[in-house]
Amino acid sequence: MTATKKPWPAQLGLALALVLLMAALAAARPNFLTLGNLVNVLRQISINGILAVGVTYVLLTGGVDLSLGSLVAFTGVIAARFAHPGEWVVLAPVCLGILAGAACGAVNGWIVTRGRVAPFIVTLGMMTAARGLALLASGGRPVSNLSAAFTRIGGGDLAGVPIPILIFFGVALLSHLFLRNLRAGRHLYAVGGNENAARASGVKVGRVKMMAYTLCGALAGLAGVVLAARITTGQPNAGVGYELDAIAAVVIGGTSLNGGVGGVGGTVLGALLIGVLNNGLDLLNVSSYYQQVVKGVIIVGAVWLDRSQHRDR
Amino acid sequence: MTVRTGVLIATAVIAAFAAGCSSGGGAGAVAVGGGGARQPVIEVSLLNLSNEFIVMLNQAMDDKARQLGVRLIVNDAQRSADRQVEQVESFVAQKVDAIILNPCEVEASAPAVDKALAAGIPVVNVNSETKSAPTAFVGSRDEDAGRIAVEYIAKRLGGRGNLLMMHGYMGQAAEIKRSQGALEVLSKTPDLKLLAQQAADWDRAKAMGLMENWIQSYGDRINAVFAQNDEMAMGALMALEQANRKAHVVVVGVDAIADALAAVRDGRLDATVFQDAKGQGGAAVETAVKIIRREPYEKQTLIPFQLVTKDNVGQYLR
Repeated sequence: MTATKKPWPAQLGLALALVLLMAALAAARPNFLTLGNLVNVLRQISINGILAVGVTYVLLTGGVDLSLGSLVAFTGVIAARFAHPGEWVVLAPVCLGILAGAACGAVNGWIVTRGRVAPFIVTLGMMTAARGLALLASGGRPVSNLSAAFTRIGGGDLAGVPIPILIFFGVALLSHLFLRNLRAGRHLYAVGGNENAARASGVKVGRVKMMAYTLCGALAGLAGVVLAARITTGQPNAGVGYELDAIAAVVIGGTSLNGGVGGVGGTVLGALLIGVLNNGLDLLNVSSYYQQVVKGVIIVGAVWLDRSQHRDR
Repeated sequence: MTVRTGVLIATAVIAAFAAGCSSGGGAGAVAVGGGGARQPVIEVSLLNLSNEFIVMLNQAMDDKARQLGVRLIVNDAQRSADRQVEQVESFVAQKVDAIILNPCEVEASAPAVDKALAAGIPVVNVNSETKSAPTAFVGSRDEDAGRIAVEYIAKRLGGRGNLLMMHGYMGQAAEIKRSQGALEVLSKTPDLKLLAQQAADWDRAKAMGLMENWIQSYGDRINAVFAQNDEMAMGALMALEQANRKAHVVVVGVDAIADALAAVRDGRLDATVFQDAKGQGGAAVETAVKIIRREPYEKQTLIPFQLVTKDNVGQYLR
């Protein structure tokens, strides 16, 4: 046996794919590589990015969360109902949106751990139920007339940087530090890697899973707040299919659907790849029919490229 | 374990049933207490009750039914033509007096019409069409919405400029017909150029992202945006406002939802095209009742679309 090959840094393949894609777009469209457009891309990925960071926690434990899109709608409606001008301070709708999301996430986690029901089924149920709650809370109509302080969260900027981007990067950075440096974060990997071994070595598996689903729900609530602020209404039918975009970003980013492997850094790259793709296809004015085909092919291709690098080890 | 699960599920079902009865109790009581002449029953299958326009259509039908003294039972097909056909099958089994169908799809909802007619139950299609001809149709021509919107844009731009078009969900009847109407005007206005067209799936957030990308791509060259519904028009409007470009671009939507009307009133949105939910819903129930009572009725009732600008927005605001 020769000395073990030096392993590739985990996300090198993905970073390469992203750079190639950006170079191709820059060559095809001079207005792609402008500061204005790059800020534009970052702003557009921030909602999917926040969701993707949240669902990273759940995927790391080997679970899945299909309720994200409906939670975005539900929490957005809840926030919007408390965001009319002159009624509550802006902190109220923000906190209530996040809390509503966390509560739904906790219900998911509780049923997964206590009821031993497969996460796919539990969160599928929540997906339907939360959509119903969103429609009930809004009466089937968009909740509009929101205060300027609230909509600023989605449309304003701080020192020239749009606020959704700051929120997304803040969430990603904190999550990265949490997963890397805190014991609770490392327990997530242990549970996803081998649940029985984790339990045997004293990790409270149920509590760890509860935490993952609750955090995921809370971040879905935050994403719901940002979306409602960005589109200046709480839309009961917003967010359809968002969970799949988020899961795609995480998986492209190298987090395993089986749990135990991955991290937030990859998720951010994955969200970036999807965002650049969406933006680039619009700039190139590719027809909507082709856009969907191209997106599907590139998502699978990126994961394939990434995995083929890993197989060399 | 299984017994406990069974009890749990049974409890949930009973609770849901009780909740349903308490909210629908009014209508049921009227039917029972009707006395001598049986109250006619009309069953309705609606496209999707999480859509604001369909909610308005539903309210208009309820009001008219109450006024005419008929019992209306409403089902939500939740966008699924499949479910819609199943619903109509159960209406047929219950031998209702008439069916009002708000079709999900042109082709896939057609079997619902066929089955009801074969069982001798009259069908009134409302808002959109099916391939099979119903007893009567009440609705608007979606081509007209596209035509009215782009004609207004052409007038505002003096027949010259660059237009962007945001499509609804590709392949739906409203998307196809609104596009047809728009393209028809474009073909007659050679100096009004279609710069780009893209689907934003009737969705405000998607439309906002698309408009941001278009601003990056076409910048100063954009003179007008036609969005095939108001949700997308509002998304485009917000993206243009945030990029400080709205002053140079005419934006027009369709449907006259509350948000869009307020934006027209405030001079932010240039125009929307009013689709008359109240007119359509009311006329559908009226037609169904005429058919049941064997009175003469219109085979086709067209409720016209109307252009809403700042000049006439007052009459549409509620």
